[in-house]
Amino acid sequence: MERNRTETRLSRRSVLKAASALSAGAAMAFMGPWKFNRVHAAASDRPITIGLTSDASGQYANSGASDRRGMLMAIAEFNDRGGVLGRKVETVHIDTETTPATGSRVAERLITRHECAFLVGAVSSGVANAISQVAQKYGTVYLNTNSSSPTESGKNCHRVKFVWDGNGTNFAQAAVNNAISTYGTKWLLLTNDYVWGHNTSAATRMLVEEFGGEIIDEILVPQGTRDFSSMLLKVQQAAPQVVAAAVGGDDQKAMRQQVAQLGLGDSMAWINNQQDWPDVYGLPLDNLFGVFGTTWYWKLDLPGVAEFVQRYQAAYPDTRMRVPGNVFYNGYMATRELLAAVERAGSTNNRMVIRELEGLKVSAADRMQHDDAYMNPATHQMQQTIYLATANHGTEESDDMFRILSQSAPDQVRDAAADAACSMESLDDTPTYEM
Amino acid sequence: MTHVLPHLLNGLSLGLLFALIALGFMLIVGVMELINLAHGSLFALGAYFAMVIVAPDVAWLGAAGEAWLALPLSVRYVLAILVAPLLVAVVGMGLELCMRRTYGRKAEYGLLLTFGAALVIEETIRLVWGPSERYLQVPQAISGAFLFAGLVYSKYKLFAALFAMAAIALVWLLLERTPYGAIIKAGAHDSEMVRALGINLTRLRLLVFGLGAGLAGFAGIVLTPIWGLRPHVGIDAVIPAFLIIVLGGVGSFWGAVIGGILVGLAVGVTGAYAAEWSLLSMYLLLIAVVTVRARGLLGKKSALEA
Repeated sequence: MERNRTETRLSRRSVLKAASALSAGAAMAFMGPWKFNRVHAAASDRPITIGLTSDASGQYANSGASDRRGMLMAIAEFNDRGGVLGRKVETVHIDTETTPATGSRVAERLITRHECAFLVGAVSSGVANAISQVAQKYGTVYLNTNSSSPTESGKNCHRVKFVWDGNGTNFAQAAVNNAISTYGTKWLLLTNDYVWGHNTSAATRMLVEEFGGEIIDEILVPQGTRDFSSMLLKVQQAAPQVVAAAVGGDDQKAMRQQVAQLGLGDSMAWINNQQDWPDVYGLPLDNLFGVFGTTWYWKLDLPGVAEFVQRYQAAYPDTRMRVPGNVFYNGYMATRELLAAVERAGSTNNRMVIRELEGLKVSAADRMQHDDAYMNPATHQMQQTIYLATANHGTEESDDMFRILSQSAPDQVRDAAADAACSMESLDDTPTYEM
Repeated sequence: MTHVLPHLLNGLSLGLLFALIALGFMLIVGVMELINLAHGSLFALGAYFAMVIVAPDVAWLGAAGEAWLALPLSVRYVLAILVAPLLVAVVGMGLELCMRRTYGRKAEYGLLLTFGAALVIEETIRLVWGPSERYLQVPQAISGAFLFAGLVYSKYKLFAALFAMAAIALVWLLLERTPYGAIIKAGAHDSEMVRALGINLTRLRLLVFGLGAGLAGFAGIVLTPIWGLRPHVGIDAVIPAFLIIVLGGVGSFWGAVIGGILVGLAVGVTGAYAAEWSLLSMYLLLIAVVTVRARGLLGKKSALEA
């Protein structure tokens, strides 16, 4: 009797064990493993929400507005055709303030509170990097539309992040060889003292040395510099044949103005890595000195460009910027290709969308560029035509500010270093979701 | 020495511009014991007002605008330099009227109000003139470059330094050679005694705030052709202004001037020889000075000091 009682009695320990196992099992059944737990109303009529992570304040506020207009035009075009997978596309925008810490907070909020299926937008590489870390944590597909540090598709690459702009190395590849043979071998680097400036100048230095040139000096320009007079005096004292400037944002605007006042733009050759259209639109042409890179120009003599400009003007009749620029173009193209990828995938499932984007190929005609473009699956950077341009002094049309000098096909300007530096998470290690 | 001399001269001219930025800030801190965080926004507002006076929107003004634009640029520019600071002074006086409820309360009230005003002014600029980069035309006579000892210098920078010197001289004359200056200085020294002597302290504060705001606007006009013009340009002005008055000694006219020149020299010379330290150099200078002399170079001795 005693024995039987002992056999049938439940010990406190076994009760606790059973309860723990039951709780764990219930929790697993309810939540699933974390990386598979976000499934919301897929295949329903619920709108697809895209989080717009563009700057509305800080030094890239103006470019952020242009970026956003591009995204919104692409979304409006899809909605006019009945949406994506029969679902309307909606947007939520929160200002990322050109500040990485804000970028992280905004990404967290857009994903967890607003349940955004995708995030789109960036001009600052620091902000893009911060957003992408949060996006990777949740598996949310993120499009870095306009930031051009080589690290974005190099050491800071992520499985969920896709980079749409040409990067510093692409622009340097397009410019350096040509500039050495045209202007000379003595180069001086003006480098903005942050991640984009350092990486861009490092790429330029490597190429200059590879093609037989010499870097005679490198001047580091702290972010927030407004007076360049002492640095420009030093540039004059060094007397280089070419100045390669990787100076961006408001720093670049101030520098350009002061170089123009000194007339230094004519007395030595200047290679400015990339020139964003919102940064120069409406300013005197004197401020636009030297040679610079871009991914697109509104006067490219290619099919579809004029019609695209008309669509922009119809969509934004009151915008001061009367023609679209490269920042708008990148915002538009990235968003358009994302939504097309969702349609091809037949689902908002992030892994399916990622696979679609990794295999993306876009014809030159569709891109309104000179060459076919493709997504590099190893770095998630769009490989595209890179243009070199200079100020267009021979025109009466005030908006026709650039004169395109040359174009380079994607493989001529490929950033091989990014391929080596990028080590992204596997798809299996990326949390999955379907909205 | 020939290598260093251009950088010393450049630093000096830069220092005069820094002193100009700090001048209005110093007046308001000195008399009202108020840190005006809207100083940078008033700086930006002056530049935008000048831009409108120099090149108004013809589509908005019609024939009158076209007639105005037919005037020589130099005439429009001179008028802008005279009128735009007055307009900013009026805005500053409006701000001072709002400030009145904060007098006698904790300093945080004034700080918060001017901070709020800075945000409102910057956002208004963005709404009216848009977020994009704009520019202020300057007459041909003061733009371009000149060659000196084998190096190219900006003609405008030289004129900007002269403008700064003129403004410093005028403020000094006002403070030292006029009865109004005596009242302002007395107000800064002991406001209760000034009131006891029958001087209208309310009006004095209004005028000083207007003068400080006008000087901020004038600095904005002078600096814009160098720094460029965008809605948030004021942030670039308010930080050095604050630093310079602490460095020079709060409320001290010559402290602000000398502090500005020292900051200019530090930034100019490090900009040439260790550019990555150029912005940091002003903060290092401040730390060095305040460590040795807590009240700044020419600041008044605190009652707590022996």
